[in-house]
Amino acid sequence: MPLRSPNDRRRLLRALLAGGGLAAGAPRAFAQEAPAMQRGRLVVVFLRGACDGLSALVPWSDPEYARLRPSIAIAAPDGTASTAIGLDGRFALHPALAPLLPLWQEGTLAVVPAAGSPNRTRSHFEAQHHWETGLPDQSTGAPGWLNRLAAFDTPRPSQPRLLGVGEANPHILSGAVRARLIPRGAAATRAGVFGNDTAREALLELYGDDDRLSRAFRDGVESRLMSSKELAAERAAADNGAGGVAGLAGDARQLAALMRADPALRIGFLSAGGWDTHVNQGAATGQLASRLSGLAAALVQLRRDFDRPGDLVLVFSEFGRTCAENGSRGTDHGRGNAMWLLGRQVAGGRVHGRWEGLAPGNLNEGRDLPVLHDFRAVIAQPINRLFGLPDSRLAELFPGAAWDASLDALVRRG
Amino acid sequence: MTRPPLLQFPAAGLSRAALLASLLAGLAWATPGSGAGLASASPAAPSGTQLTDVQAIWRATTRLGYWPSPEQVTAIRVHPGGARGWALAEVDRAFDTSREPARVPEALHAVTAPLPTIFAEVRREREARLLAAQTAQDAGPMGVVVPSAAAPAVDSYLRTSGQQAAAWRMLGCSDPSIEHPLLARLTEFWFNHLNVFAGRATVRPFTGHYAVHAIRPNVLGRFEDLLIASARHPAMLFYLDQNQNVAEGTPGLNGRVRGLNENYARELLELHTLGVDGGYTQQDVRELARVLTGWTVDPAAPSGFRFVSRLHDAGGKVVLGRPFGGEGLAQGEREGVEAIAMLAANRATARRIALRLARFFVADEPPTALVDRLSAEYLATRGDLRRMMRLLVASPEFWDPANELFKTPYDFACSALGASAQAAPGNRAPGIGLALSFLVAAGQPVNGWQTPDGYRTDAATWLSPEALTRRADLAAALARGMGDPEYLLVFYGPRTLERLGRLPAGTRGALALAAPDFMRK
Repeated sequence: MPLRSPNDRRRLLRALLAGGGLAAGAPRAFAQEAPAMQRGRLVVVFLRGACDGLSALVPWSDPEYARLRPSIAIAAPDGTASTAIGLDGRFALHPALAPLLPLWQEGTLAVVPAAGSPNRTRSHFEAQHHWETGLPDQSTGAPGWLNRLAAFDTPRPSQPRLLGVGEANPHILSGAVRARLIPRGAAATRAGVFGNDTAREALLELYGDDDRLSRAFRDGVESRLMSSKELAAERAAADNGAGGVAGLAGDARQLAALMRADPALRIGFLSAGGWDTHVNQGAATGQLASRLSGLAAALVQLRRDFDRPGDLVLVFSEFGRTCAENGSRGTDHGRGNAMWLLGRQVAGGRVHGRWEGLAPGNLNEGRDLPVLHDFRAVIAQPINRLFGLPDSRLAELFPGAAWDASLDALVRRG
Repeated sequence: MTRPPLLQFPAAGLSRAALLASLLAGLAWATPGSGAGLASASPAAPSGTQLTDVQAIWRATTRLGYWPSPEQVTAIRVHPGGARGWALAEVDRAFDTSREPARVPEALHAVTAPLPTIFAEVRREREARLLAAQTAQDAGPMGVVVPSAAAPAVDSYLRTSGQQAAAWRMLGCSDPSIEHPLLARLTEFWFNHLNVFAGRATVRPFTGHYAVHAIRPNVLGRFEDLLIASARHPAMLFYLDQNQNVAEGTPGLNGRVRGLNENYARELLELHTLGVDGGYTQQDVRELARVLTGWTVDPAAPSGFRFVSRLHDAGGKVVLGRPFGGEGLAQGEREGVEAIAMLAANRATARRIALRLARFFVADEPPTALVDRLSAEYLATRGDLRRMMRLLVASPEFWDPANELFKTPYDFACSALGASAQAAPGNRAPGIGLALSFLVAAGQPVNGWQTPDGYRTDAATWLSPEALTRRADLAAALARGMGDPEYLLVFYGPRTLERLGRLPAGTRGALALAAPDFMRK
């Protein structure tokens, strides 16, 4: 059954009752009726390499947890800095994620603890591709789902609608709609040779033809001059002690600055690697803890910068890691994982969706957290509510995925 | 500002042929009798299904190396078999060179230091760092660790060995007097196929040695030998945690129990050999990990490798339906060697290697017929990479004008370095430093891809607007002191030449390196 939200079911029903006939429910009619994405801005943070969700969101009261992870379990909350930070009777945050606690408390941070892809691959690269296309049943070169989402808004835009920081050309942004891609750190703030009028004119003349390369170059010059101008102010603020441009938090700052400056950029993408902790992943401190603390800083930054009612930050990783630690105090490739959502309309301060615990009978292949919610169904909830995306578009975005009513409370109503 | 024309003739009304002839006349390598043939064919004009001679030279030198050095261009022009004949001979020359030691300059000695020396340096540095931390801790108030100004610079070996490994790659790809260009290309390709990441501190000091001693000697040998060399090298053993992969229940330190680590076994199947759709299961991953238990590093051995029986799972295993380690079968280290040979001989591996080579050298979406022939050659020759390369460079697909490739940032950095040094020889270090920084910002740092899949090399990944403009910055920085690079301009299209001709003389070097013609290979 395709994705179909209660809202649209109601609208369809109203249309039918009003005598509009079945045609009112046809995809074309809906697409014309509903102005897509009238409000929202979306930022996706992709944790490449399979972040260990069971360390980030600790199921501390489950007796299996400490048993499965004798040397890497995060200690149950006791109020001290080296133990997990209790959220409720079942879950707690990794101590390195302490900066997220205020967000949880104010109700703008929510989590779905056992989500993932229906595809069972344990390959990072194949799984990441599925998360980026939103098509877990195929490994084709289909455009990224963020690009397809942007295309609903503006089918043939001349200006970029998507912004990526850091990666050369992430698949999730690729497709017909132009994406603006900037490097990490200070490199993005420099106009380079294009600050020189003579050099710029000469280069533009060299790329004066109408082939793909020349067009890309001319677009690039324009976009680069804008980036350097817009980020210069950000840089000055950073130099005045507002935090540097290094690390994921720095990427977040630059992303926010450019999206603020150009309202047409409504979809942003950040990523961070280094989560593939097969060996010595650590516990309250160590390798994984330092990655998590960088993530926490970035999410706090994003929460600050994306505070409009329609803003949403989505955080996910291609799959989870084994529930039990392996022979080298690390974890191997697993299945289900936590997905994190931040925003004013997220029903935060709550764990959403199903959770069955870590008892042996509840694990996938006896080793992993199962996938209890399709990642596309999780994403569909806020996309539907915050972006006003109708059923027909949701079904186009994530063909084959089903609406998951058990997650209907994920986004605040009204 | 006066803008003298680039070439000493009126730009208006000039035919392409005349322009090219005029360019060629001034070139040292233009041999008698050949100018007319070249001049009659424009590098940029469509010419049916054949590359022109000039286009063929550009293709041969930029794909089977990085840039058209004048020596190479001359060699192609005088070769009786033309560009194709030269390319075939080039494969053999690269093979011969791969059997000789790499010409590593003294300044980059860490790259080729013996493995026990590298291990010893790493250990010395780790101990110095611990000592420094301890000293600082002892001195600090209330147990707070404070960095001590008197502490020795303890991370210098880690840092310099990583820098030297990256510098060696840049030197090798840009300077034909240091490294054979095709050998540099193949080292790039196979390093990337069997990627390791210098960002991991345990891996970093070994990346240079890995490139020079595990990859380079094997790039035109048998694929199986290359796989084994990579499997036994400390860089790979550390990178994919194979040094941690031991039999379940092996006693560890402090009463801990150690066990399997699947990381290397998985990537050996998924990336190095069969590919993700190669027909293996999670059970195969686990069984292969068991087969490989006990393969680990040896800091004292010249090879850096040892097999430790005590850590090996001696039980029976089944990988892809074939039993290992049981009665009457290979045992111990031999299990892993035979498993790797089995994977190398698999049809899925042949297909994967064929596809990746064709993508790298021919087109982002290579013709299926070529991939089929390469794959068949792999199977017929038991993975002889030299035979595959000979087939590839002799194939019509390699020379087909339709099979275009766009330079990756690495291609661009190497070719811009080489071409600028040609015009302004001197100390290479500043240029290499600039190129390495450029690659970091471009998202393709040398030895710096974190995950074992290696860099993508297609235009879809690298041809993006802002990134393209950043190439002009490197071009400008490298071109300081560079004159008009005639040896490049012979390959450029008439529109670019005309545009360059209108520019001030001092700027043409930078603009030639930043021109669209220079971005394709």
